[in-house]
Amino acid sequence: MTDATATLSPMEAATQPKGLTRAFAYAALLAMSFVMLYPLLWMISSSFKPENQIFSTGSLIPETFTADAYRRGWNGLSVSFGWMFLNSLVISVLAVVGNLISCSMAAYAFTRLQFKGRKFWFALMLGTMMLPQHAVLIPQYLMFLNFGWVNTILPLVVPKFLAIDAFFIFLMVQFFRGIPRELDEAALMDGAGPLRIFFRIILPLSTPVLATAAVFSFIWTWDDFFAPLIYLNDIEKYTAQLGLRTFVDATAQSDWGALLAMSTLTVLPIFLLFVMFQRLLIEGVATTGMKR
Amino acid sequence: MAVDETLHYRAPVWSRLRGQLAGYGFLSPWLIGFFALTFGPAVSSLYLSLTDYSLMSSPRWVGAGNYVQIAQVDPRFRAAMNVTFTYVLLSVPLKLIFALAIAVLLNKGLKGLNWFRAIFYLPSLIGGPVAIAVLWRQVFASDGIINQVLMSVFGYEGPSWIANPDTAIYTLVALAVWQFGSSMIIFLAGLRQIPQDMYEAASIDGASRTRQFFKITLPLLTPVIFFNAVILTIDAFKAFTPAFVISDGSGGPIDSTLFYTLYLYQEAFMNFRFGYASALAWVLVAIIAGFTALSFFSAKYWVHYDD
Repeated sequence: MTDATATLSPMEAATQPKGLTRAFAYAALLAMSFVMLYPLLWMISSSFKPENQIFSTGSLIPETFTADAYRRGWNGLSVSFGWMFLNSLVISVLAVVGNLISCSMAAYAFTRLQFKGRKFWFALMLGTMMLPQHAVLIPQYLMFLNFGWVNTILPLVVPKFLAIDAFFIFLMVQFFRGIPRELDEAALMDGAGPLRIFFRIILPLSTPVLATAAVFSFIWTWDDFFAPLIYLNDIEKYTAQLGLRTFVDATAQSDWGALLAMSTLTVLPIFLLFVMFQRLLIEGVATTGMKR
Repeated sequence: MAVDETLHYRAPVWSRLRGQLAGYGFLSPWLIGFFALTFGPAVSSLYLSLTDYSLMSSPRWVGAGNYVQIAQVDPRFRAAMNVTFTYVLLSVPLKLIFALAIAVLLNKGLKGLNWFRAIFYLPSLIGGPVAIAVLWRQVFASDGIINQVLMSVFGYEGPSWIANPDTAIYTLVALAVWQFGSSMIIFLAGLRQIPQDMYEAASIDGASRTRQFFKITLPLLTPVIFFNAVILTIDAFKAFTPAFVISDGSGGPIDSTLFYTLYLYQEAFMNFRFGYASALAWVLVAIIAGFTALSFFSAKYWVHYDD
């Protein structure tokens, strides 16, 4: 470290006044925040502008406020967007339910139950997290085609009940490991079986991780575009994402207002969840390295 | 008394069996899923990758034919590789740099940390649904936000970035970089782990802020950088939706946004070449596995683990 001080240039050695650094940091962060949020704010504000004002001004505050674009967009396709939102909602809620049930069961087996092959299956489960879904995509599709499930929501929902999102198992395993074993042992002494311990001890103590898994699995399913694109053909069965994409084609960019209005609506649920569960989401990412 | 003895003898067996039953009972949804949705399909797609199959007739064995065609003849594969590697090699480092720089700035104990953190995280939470791709299409369109800024600030009339094959891919890189938030949060968590007294000791020794960053922060953060880099790289190879929406599913203009997964999708679900698409899928798996292996191998030389 002595040698470190010796090589310092005078510039480096001079400590900047704290107030100035602070002011600079704030300025940088504020500018950055503006850049980050501008596209989103622009999308929202443009959706309330009359069509001819969207491109004439970059201003975020509409001169004339109108919800007309929402009316045009809502009924812009042969099926109302409301219907597609309902489809998305049903699929996302079922995905949440499926993930919570199947992943918590698997995580419970991996952390609390003694059975032959436990370590082997656990290693395989971790392995599946690494395998890109493209490797299994086509045979899965052919299988669902055989079952007559294509153009139904089953291929989007049933896999969630079979713990396909191994990531959530991993997340719950981490959490369950932190629950003191003394609790199960005490319950075991009182004659409780594995089922009772799962429902009466593990699950009630796991609400934080269950909530994290629920919110993320809702958002990911809501956002998902690839699976609905492959499996859903009829416009009555479309999710909001598919509807929006069809709308891009249909309007051929002639009605930007309506397109931006519907875009705003598809992002709205995610935004609401973000506002409600911000802490939970950020902690989820920070502690597990969850991506997105 | 004989009754008691048999009970005594049977109890452990029954409870052991019960343990096995409970274990496999709770694991059964995952087990069924593993065999039906992962293991079975993986084996089956390996087989399909060695065949010619289009739903019209049963799979016809072609051996390594598909792989040979991919490696030697297919120009669109080459285009897809070009686009995908450009995307990965640009978006991942840029995202890491942004995420790290902002995290370091936020870690200075400024007020309003929670607000800034939330604002920067929002774009990456929203992720890549269609709405964002639609928005991006507008942002970089000929009359979009970027060109409006260029016009009013520099008086420069910008092109349509998305319609131009030379620039289209960079709009997608910009989209990826805009979503640096989750990496930033992981960096912030990592920065908190660095003991404060290391900085105190260093400043007593007269080390400047810059030097402290390169000698303390950066080395101690290498495990987190490594983790982020690996995850971001894997994700970048799998990117799909933005390219699909921006190019109307074509990968255009002139295949300039033909992401690997988009090409795979076209071969499988537009051209119904299931055998060839399966081979493409396994090539992607191999590339991702190769990249991951390379990262882990290189980690020995630059990732600092305190033991």
